[in-house]
Amino acid sequence: MEEIVKDQLVSVEKPEIVAPPGWEPVIVGILCNWCSYAGSDLTGTSRIQYPHNIRIIRVPCTSRVDPWFLIKALQTTADGVLVSGCHPGDCHYITGNYYARRRFLVTKKLLNFIGFHENRIQFSWVSAAEGPKFAKVVAKVTDDIKKLGPLHLYKKENFEK
Amino acid sequence: MDYTKEIREIATKLFAEGKIDVFVGYRMTGFDENQVPVIISGLEDVPMLIFNDRSVFNLANYLKQEHTRKKRVGLIVKGCDSRSLNLLLTENQVNRERLFVIGIACEGICDQEGNKMQHCKECVFPDAVVYDQMVGTPHDARQYQVNADVRELASKSLVERREYFETVFESCIRCNACRHSCPLCYCAKCVIDQETSTLYHGSNTTSSAFHALMTWSLHLAGRCVDCRNCERACPMGLPLHLLHKQNENTIYGNFQGHLAGVVDGDRGAFYKYNMNDPDDFIM
Repeated sequence: MEEIVKDQLVSVEKPEIVAPPGWEPVIVGILCNWCSYAGSDLTGTSRIQYPHNIRIIRVPCTSRVDPWFLIKALQTTADGVLVSGCHPGDCHYITGNYYARRRFLVTKKLLNFIGFHENRIQFSWVSAAEGPKFAKVVAKVTDDIKKLGPLHLYKKENFEK
Repeated sequence: MDYTKEIREIATKLFAEGKIDVFVGYRMTGFDENQVPVIISGLEDVPMLIFNDRSVFNLANYLKQEHTRKKRVGLIVKGCDSRSLNLLLTENQVNRERLFVIGIACEGICDQEGNKMQHCKECVFPDAVVYDQMVGTPHDARQYQVNADVRELASKSLVERREYFETVFESCIRCNACRHSCPLCYCAKCVIDQETSTLYHGSNTTSSAFHALMTWSLHLAGRCVDCRNCERACPMGLPLHLLHKQNENTIYGNFQGHLAGVVDGDRGAFYKYNMNDPDDFIM
């Protein structure tokens, strides 16, 4: 019974789209070099398992993340995006993540406004010492996006001639 | 609201005293009730100038063009236009010394039928914030209110909103008129053009419209002054203000009531931060 429910996963935004059997979400993880990337490294070296759905991109700081990156990711292959950086006050560049925080809120609200589920775009603060937390965050994001089903909106390949 | 007489007087005086090289104003189209922007360069053209509640365009956009570059310019600004001018000054795109700004205490502009525009009823700063000479009587302070269209759409469900915006992005023909008409879009090279650089992808797909309009509106978030030049320029009549007003609501509500271009030297909401900004959405 459980298998059938899993096979009939539909997209939250577009209920007519059904996930193919064995569908796995693609999550783009944009991680800051100084905290979250080191944190994910610690997760690996500590041999903590986390879902392999995440594809990690390293950026110098979360304030390097232009809202454009998130839109580009959602438009091409991603079913969800995770942006992760240093805790407030821990930024390597002193204030970078404070600026990033403002942009994230506005981006999230706007994407939700035009019809993306709010869980498609998630943010977290993970420090270099928080290996187990990183594994938990990735597991939660993957779980959330699995529930939402595939993202079919505005995907580039659906419109190519 | 008809300041034609005052505008012509000031323009005549400026040209006679040799204070300006060109004057950016409005004139009648000549075949209907509407007006178009005009750049005049001498006393003989002053009788062409007009200003009333059909003077809709944001003339700050013309400061980035060749006609006005490196010249001393006389300019008419309404409340919203003056805020975009303020941002251009803050971002060092325009030299204040070569400008003579005529600020208007704006009563609100009208649409084709002569009704006052909805966003002018909701306008917070009808009076020009940057000016050398003020025309009209200044207004009392006003309260910010959430745009009626945004409030209505936000109350709908996720799927309804998705369906609505899918039709919006589908109608977009990617002519980039919105970007060209925006006074604050002055980058020599724009990131959204990366999408059209490979022509075979089809530059006017729904997907690329989503990419372009979303990126554009997020790059203007915290800077957009709601002058609606983009919407007037759009040949497909897309409700572009929805994206901008949604951003403005988020920013006003969460970042200490920030409104773009009101304070001198304020670059926009994304160029500053506060320790107490909301972060309950972050894990």
